[in-house]
Amino acid sequence: MKEIKINAADKKPREVNRAVKQAAKENDRIIIENPNSTHYLLAGLTEPVDVVIDGSAGYFAATMIHGARVHINGNAGWFPGDNMTQGEVIVDGSAGDGVGQGIYNGTVVVKKDVGSRTGEIMKNGTVIIGGNSGFMSGRYMMGGQLIILGDISDDAGESMIRGTIYVGGKIKSLGKNAMIEELDEDEIKKLKTILNNYEFTLTEEDYQKFQKIVPRSDRPFYGKDSEEG
Amino acid sequence: MCGIAGIVFKDRKVHPVGKYMTRMLKALQHRGADSAGFAIYGGLNLKEHEYILNIEIEENPGLLEEVKTKVNTVFPIESEEIIPSVENSIIYRCKIVLASFSQLKPLIMCVDEIEGVTVLNGGHSFEMIKDVGLVKDIAARYNTEEKMGTHAIGHIRFSTESIVDRYHAHPFQSYIIPDITVVHNGQITNYWKIRESLERKGHIFETDNDTECIVHYIADKLSQDYSLEESLEQSVIDMDGPFSYIIGTPNGVGIAKDKLGLRPGVMVENDELFAIASEEVALQEIIDTTNIEQISPGETRAYTI
Repeated sequence: MKEIKINAADKKPREVNRAVKQAAKENDRIIIENPNSTHYLLAGLTEPVDVVIDGSAGYFAATMIHGARVHINGNAGWFPGDNMTQGEVIVDGSAGDGVGQGIYNGTVVVKKDVGSRTGEIMKNGTVIIGGNSGFMSGRYMMGGQLIILGDISDDAGESMIRGTIYVGGKIKSLGKNAMIEELDEDEIKKLKTILNNYEFTLTEEDYQKFQKIVPRSDRPFYGKDSEEG
Repeated sequence: MCGIAGIVFKDRKVHPVGKYMTRMLKALQHRGADSAGFAIYGGLNLKEHEYILNIEIEENPGLLEEVKTKVNTVFPIESEEIIPSVENSIIYRCKIVLASFSQLKPLIMCVDEIEGVTVLNGGHSFEMIKDVGLVKDIAARYNTEEKMGTHAIGHIRFSTESIVDRYHAHPFQSYIIPDITVVHNGQITNYWKIRESLERKGHIFETDNDTECIVHYIADKLSQDYSLEESLEQSVIDMDGPFSYIIGTPNGVGIAKDKLGLRPGVMVENDELFAIASEEVALQEIIDTTNIEQISPGETRAYTI
């Protein structure tokens, strides 16, 4: 495995991202040192490379990536993994608002608590939160799965159209067009596979506590039920 | 966009808080480049009834003397300092003694009547420093890294509605009660509703800026014996729009975030410090930790010493 270190100290986001893009052509693994919570790190990275951000990232970390496997050792700001189409973003710490916003595919994992509007307008893919998730998580969700191991705050699944939110903790309140359903055994098996893969250790009792939030209707705002897609 | 920051040393002792706040604001510089400002509390050591006035004066012949005469006629100037000229104006800083706090606002309004003169602020327990431009330049001009104190708030401005000048740089101050300041990121969309109720009580607005509205609102609540925490909580109920703001008082700082959480806020705390900011990058400048907390929509946090 070929590995390279890039020191982000005193570099602008564009300079770091250009260096990463260049290094990704000839290396399997890139370590970004001194990230200093910089915004837009790895924006638009389309090479299928392993990247370690050795510290915290700012806003829009790994936005619009396609295929990279990104590991952030610290925290992330708002919108990690925003609109990514393929790949993986793992955050060891906490993150701000809009985790996994609008993702088309791939997986975003945050090990601790996150802010509000987690997984908003996500179209597909998987977002996993190890702790609690804030206000309007799953807002306008259009597909994919959002898995919250802790509690989910007010207006969960606000105006969601498609997709599923799995919640291991308490659901404070539901948003418009959201409703709670029981999980079947196949879904619990699926959760075990996904969560084991990311080294979340849950007991059988924990798994039995999971509830899921799904949309009431595919056409909640206008149109006839017969027109539902 | 704007960036906001606040810091409190929990031991109530004087620390190089100016250096800490300067580092936090430099880290937030990308959030705006129009102006920056500091309110640094606890380092002035003024005697009772002593106040510092910061007055912006255009460089016209005789204008400085006219200001001095006007102030001296009412209250003797005990000491004075001139901050070097930038863009055809100076900052004249003088120390005066009042009989009571209630004389401060009328004096400021009186001096403001002189054409080409703007009183930026008058304070007793804190030092206000604010100017247009980048933090590094303002820090050098006003020696902010040398300023000592117990706590501070600071701001980086990305102007939206109001003009860019020294007066409209944050912090804003209210004179409803002594030494209350605010830094703000966002907009108060029911501004007129909040302002009208405060004006009916006789509170005077100097600008049409929503940040001024916040500081008068909180000062009004504190004057009615609300605690800082209670004032912040009530503001989240009463105010609409996207906002996060930090209040500075002689005893501490507090943050409030709008109900929908449309503006950022993070905090960190250890045995020594309580610190809040728009982004983690500012907190990492002063505390080496990854244990950063997100301020939730509608949430408030405060620390008083």
